[in-house]
Amino acid sequence: MKLTRREFIKSNAVAAAASVAGVTLPLSNATAADADDGIRWDKAACRYCGTGCSVLMGVKDGKVVASQGDPDAPVNKGLNCIKGYFLPKILYGEDRLTKPLLRKTNGKYDKNGKFEAVSWDEAFKTMAEKWIAARKAKGPKGVGMFGSGQWTVWEGYAAQKLLKAGFRSNSLEPNARHCMASAVGAFMRAFGIDEPMGCYDDLEHADVFVLWGANMAEMHPILWSRLTDTRLTKPGCEVHVLSTFEHRCYELADNGMVFEPQTDLAILNYIANYIIQNKAYNKAFIDKHVNFTKTPTDIGYGLRDNDPREKAAKNRAKGKLTKISFEEYAKSVEPYTLEYTAKLSKVPKEKLLRLAKAYADPKKKVASYWTMGFNQHTRGVWVNGLCYNVHLLMGKISEPGNSPFSLTGQPSACGTAREVGTFTHRLPADLVTKKDAHCKFAEKTWKLPAGTIPRANGKTDGADQSDISGKPMGPTLIHAVAMHRALNDGKMNTFWVMCNNNMQAAANMNDESYPGWRNPDNFITVSDPYPTVSAQAADLILPTAMWIEKEGAYGNAERRTQFWRQQVGAPGEAKSDVWQVMEFSKYVKVKDVWPEDLIAKMPEYADKTLYDVLYANGQVNKFPVEQVTDSRGNKYANDESADFGFYVQKGLFEEYRLFNSVDGIPKKGHEMADFDAYHKVRGMRWPVIDGKETLWRFREGYDPHVAKGEGVKFYGKPDGKANIITAPYEPAAEPPDKEYDLWLCTGRVLEHWHSGSMTRRVPELYRAVPDAVVYMHPKDAKKRRLRNGALAKLTSRRGEIVCKVDTKGRNKCPEGLVFVPWFDAGRLVNKLTLDQTDPLSKETDYKKCGVKITRA
Amino acid sequence: MTDTERKNEINRRQFLGNMLKTACSVGLVGLGLGAYSKRASSLPASYIRPPGALPEEEFLGTCIRCGLCVRDCPYDILFLGEVGDQVPTGTPYFVARTGPCEMCEEIPCVVACPTNALDHELKDIEDSRMGLAVLIDQENCIAFHGLRCEVCFNVCPIRNRAITLDMQHNTRSGKHALFIPVVHSDACTGCGLCERACILEEAAIKVFPTHLAKGELGKHYRLGWEEKEKAGGALVTPDTEHRYNLPEGVRYELQGEGLIIEEGAQQTPFSANPLDTLNSGFMDK
Amino acid sequence: MNICSLIVHTKPTHGAEVSDRLQRFQGVEVHGGTEADKLIVTIEDEGESISPVSDTMNALRDVEGVVSTVLVYHYGGEESMEEMNREIN
Repeated sequence: MKLTRREFIKSNAVAAAASVAGVTLPLSNATAADADDGIRWDKAACRYCGTGCSVLMGVKDGKVVASQGDPDAPVNKGLNCIKGYFLPKILYGEDRLTKPLLRKTNGKYDKNGKFEAVSWDEAFKTMAEKWIAARKAKGPKGVGMFGSGQWTVWEGYAAQKLLKAGFRSNSLEPNARHCMASAVGAFMRAFGIDEPMGCYDDLEHADVFVLWGANMAEMHPILWSRLTDTRLTKPGCEVHVLSTFEHRCYELADNGMVFEPQTDLAILNYIANYIIQNKAYNKAFIDKHVNFTKTPTDIGYGLRDNDPREKAAKNRAKGKLTKISFEEYAKSVEPYTLEYTAKLSKVPKEKLLRLAKAYADPKKKVASYWTMGFNQHTRGVWVNGLCYNVHLLMGKISEPGNSPFSLTGQPSACGTAREVGTFTHRLPADLVTKKDAHCKFAEKTWKLPAGTIPRANGKTDGADQSDISGKPMGPTLIHAVAMHRALNDGKMNTFWVMCNNNMQAAANMNDESYPGWRNPDNFITVSDPYPTVSAQAADLILPTAMWIEKEGAYGNAERRTQFWRQQVGAPGEAKSDVWQVMEFSKYVKVKDVWPEDLIAKMPEYADKTLYDVLYANGQVNKFPVEQVTDSRGNKYANDESADFGFYVQKGLFEEYRLFNSVDGIPKKGHEMADFDAYHKVRGMRWPVIDGKETLWRFREGYDPHVAKGEGVKFYGKPDGKANIITAPYEPAAEPPDKEYDLWLCTGRVLEHWHSGSMTRRVPELYRAVPDAVVYMHPKDAKKRRLRNGALAKLTSRRGEIVCKVDTKGRNKCPEGLVFVPWFDAGRLVNKLTLDQTDPLSKETDYKKCGVKITRA
Repeated sequence: MTDTERKNEINRRQFLGNMLKTACSVGLVGLGLGAYSKRASSLPASYIRPPGALPEEEFLGTCIRCGLCVRDCPYDILFLGEVGDQVPTGTPYFVARTGPCEMCEEIPCVVACPTNALDHELKDIEDSRMGLAVLIDQENCIAFHGLRCEVCFNVCPIRNRAITLDMQHNTRSGKHALFIPVVHSDACTGCGLCERACILEEAAIKVFPTHLAKGELGKHYRLGWEEKEKAGGALVTPDTEHRYNLPEGVRYELQGEGLIIEEGAQQTPFSANPLDTLNSGFMDK
Repeated sequence: MNICSLIVHTKPTHGAEVSDRLQRFQGVEVHGGTEADKLIVTIEDEGESISPVSDTMNALRDVEGVVSTVLVYHYGGEESMEEMNREIN
């Protein structure tokens, strides 16, 4: 029972007076009626990280009034982290945006005007005009959209269609580019199919846990509590933790190691070398299931072309694999001796040896977990791959407890960004725009003429694809960091940011992001529920429905797809992302963006809108509006269905399933159950075949794609074999020097989600961790005459920020490295960071650049 | 305390003043005021003295109510008792939930004290004992249910010493751990940062004056393992070596695991070789 | 936000009718005690201003049938946004 504060005080007041007077009151006068009466409970996937906890939301009178962890959810069994505890409050910040806002002067759009409320019609008219003009003038890269791993599955799918088929542009990227692209790159290179082979049940089955650049204790709090429980209750279980600074996971570590940034490359090669030198490798497994390859080296750092580091790189951004023999592979890791690696990494020898022995022990089941330490790395694809190398050498993969496991940061980085493929180079279900056949399959599925989707190289059937400008399309791929550069250079003129806060999140704000967005030639649209840093830098702000204000689906890190129903309505005129994408498509006609020769293939499309050909195509709109009802008979609204006149989410999902769950698809292994099935369960782990989920992939008995007698089959590759890919240690792009003498590493804290636009609006979370601080070693602080709590100025080659020094807090940095969280809009650490990327995955490295610190 | 909060505080006091006048005007000062003061401000346990404060009796004798500590507190957390408050008028205090001590390294409040009521011997703020944090409500603290909060642990300035996390198996879920915050009086300064940060509506961890917060072990009783550690060995002569009747392959460690069945040792009364059983003699004893 | 509770003593057997009269004042609520002729009354206001509650208290004294009023409990303070937010949960 909950009372409001006022009721509570009043009941105290009444009780006090009654007791003084000696009067007995009827019970109902002294206590309020049971407030839990009439609450409707329903399940939803948590809004935050990739763990994918299930929560129950209690709704009364159109408002979320209560919440609880879902006790029947296998992931979290009723538990939540501190962010999950406050989930309802993220919906009710006082400054929710409720009307579209456009920069205007004297009633007209003006890049330098003040934000004024406008109608949705005016907002989309203005936007469409800018988008059509930019598409015509600048080609497929003239327009761009930046979405999110926090999009629901169908939001990503609708955006995928709008950009790739509607605008005929591959300029669609998710913020997962900053987060999971390196993991994806490594999955594709090693296994030919994306996402982890294992699942969370590995947490109970492993004997040894190794964390590589993952602060699970804070970033995957519920998974960490499962790992901790196994450590506490399983005899012989041990935990190894590696990072560039000591974080909360070290509290549990049996073998905690702090290594010099970038030397994780060397450590993994040392482990492989140890395994080979001691002949501990699983020969039968490698003979049958593994190919050995090497990757080009000296590949640069994804910086701009004119950067001297790029000019010096011999094989800039090259990644084509060459087959080698086992002996050649063994030779390639030979230099990584214990002595050399210990010296380079600054990790004591005995600790490295203990780690290597754990991997090499055939009796111990090893689960490796990693997150941004591996992925946000200028050699991210390499380092992911080096970890697979170790597991493949030992055959410790694809079975309970033996699991190299890439943890995802966002709630649907897997389900939306990766599975729907909202990257510039991807299409749903692991298809790619590089392959003509994949594009043709997508076009046929979408009932569009062949050649609609821009090929990565601008050619279909060997011939140039024509553009509306009359010129050939040319190469069409553009990744997230390149988008900001293109905006800055005026090559991209319209940009739509949805469901993320990229002005705060992208690296090198001062030199690239901010000048790019404020470039007078550009028109920037930001869809967000709150006035974020990105919204402040935009030209048009679209008020957005959040999370359970719409029907949604997320896919977590263990391939679990989870659905929820719309629980409440959005405030004011706020609309969901899927509504915005589809409604906007009504303002653009096919002939505005397609060339004549393409239209000639389907002349009936010429005067239609993109909405007609993409969503009202007889396929997406084939499911009529229905009253959404749960098994107990509770009724739920669905605002999008009401607005468009068909069951939007079902239509989009069922069309999406034509890519992964029907006969004749190009790539098997991503099968999903039908739409209605997911509303009845707490998620299912794909591939789902005949209603059965898959826990461990590639292994006979667990995975229906592996035939009887095959044992293990990495069926993502044509020969069924995984790749061990050798790659050396190479230095970071911007190590500390005399002037900028400290490494800067950035990241998150338990209490705040990403840029803090939601969690900083929860008073209790704000009170718990109000501002970002710089964590540093006490000696480094003392050298700079700084005390704990003093204000420090952090300066990099690109900018400066001021924040408080913390020498005693949760993160203990070694001398020479500092850590600053990025949630704080008041201290924008991405003014300091360098826009360096892994040249292969194009993922930003936020973990390594040079800074200096002085008293502020 | 933010400006708005301070304004509220002032409003409240002004209002109390007015209320007293009103009560007088209806001619019922006695009952009204008596009942009022009992109900509205009987919160002595949440009033904490600044760092270095002498024991309460002594402090009251030494403090000259000058207010210099309040003036010099850079975080403006200190207040002076006013008429009607439960603390003696003019003496400094803070309330942890709204404004805890921020643990300045320079301890400016102590430096400002002209009479040593705040003891100038206190040089290291970590040595101060303003009170003691107590995890008073284990029913509502969400850590005890297995939720991943640990905000008190994370904000504690005496990291991993004043509050530690005791990791335990969560028997309800069967596969998660509990991270239970435990306060240690040998390190806790009573600054109250944990109480302020507690995310519950009413804090589950609270700072109290030490005498209210601390239990006391019976004067006669010692914790054996601590005494042994202090003495560096057993207080009583060590045992001579123990010997046991044991089957083959089995050991017994007195100070260790107890019974140890070595791998490959017989786990059943039967030999792995059936012939051994067959040839051992039928029902032979 | 101000909330006070009072005991209002009435002339013998006049509890019910005085109760009706008191309830006509804005912000005044009677919670019981009519049989004992000792009414348990709360007065609350919402605004920043503090005068209405004290004015109401004075006014109650003059209501027909009231013998005396005793202030027992007062809560004063603004209902900050944080508290408003808490009500969500």
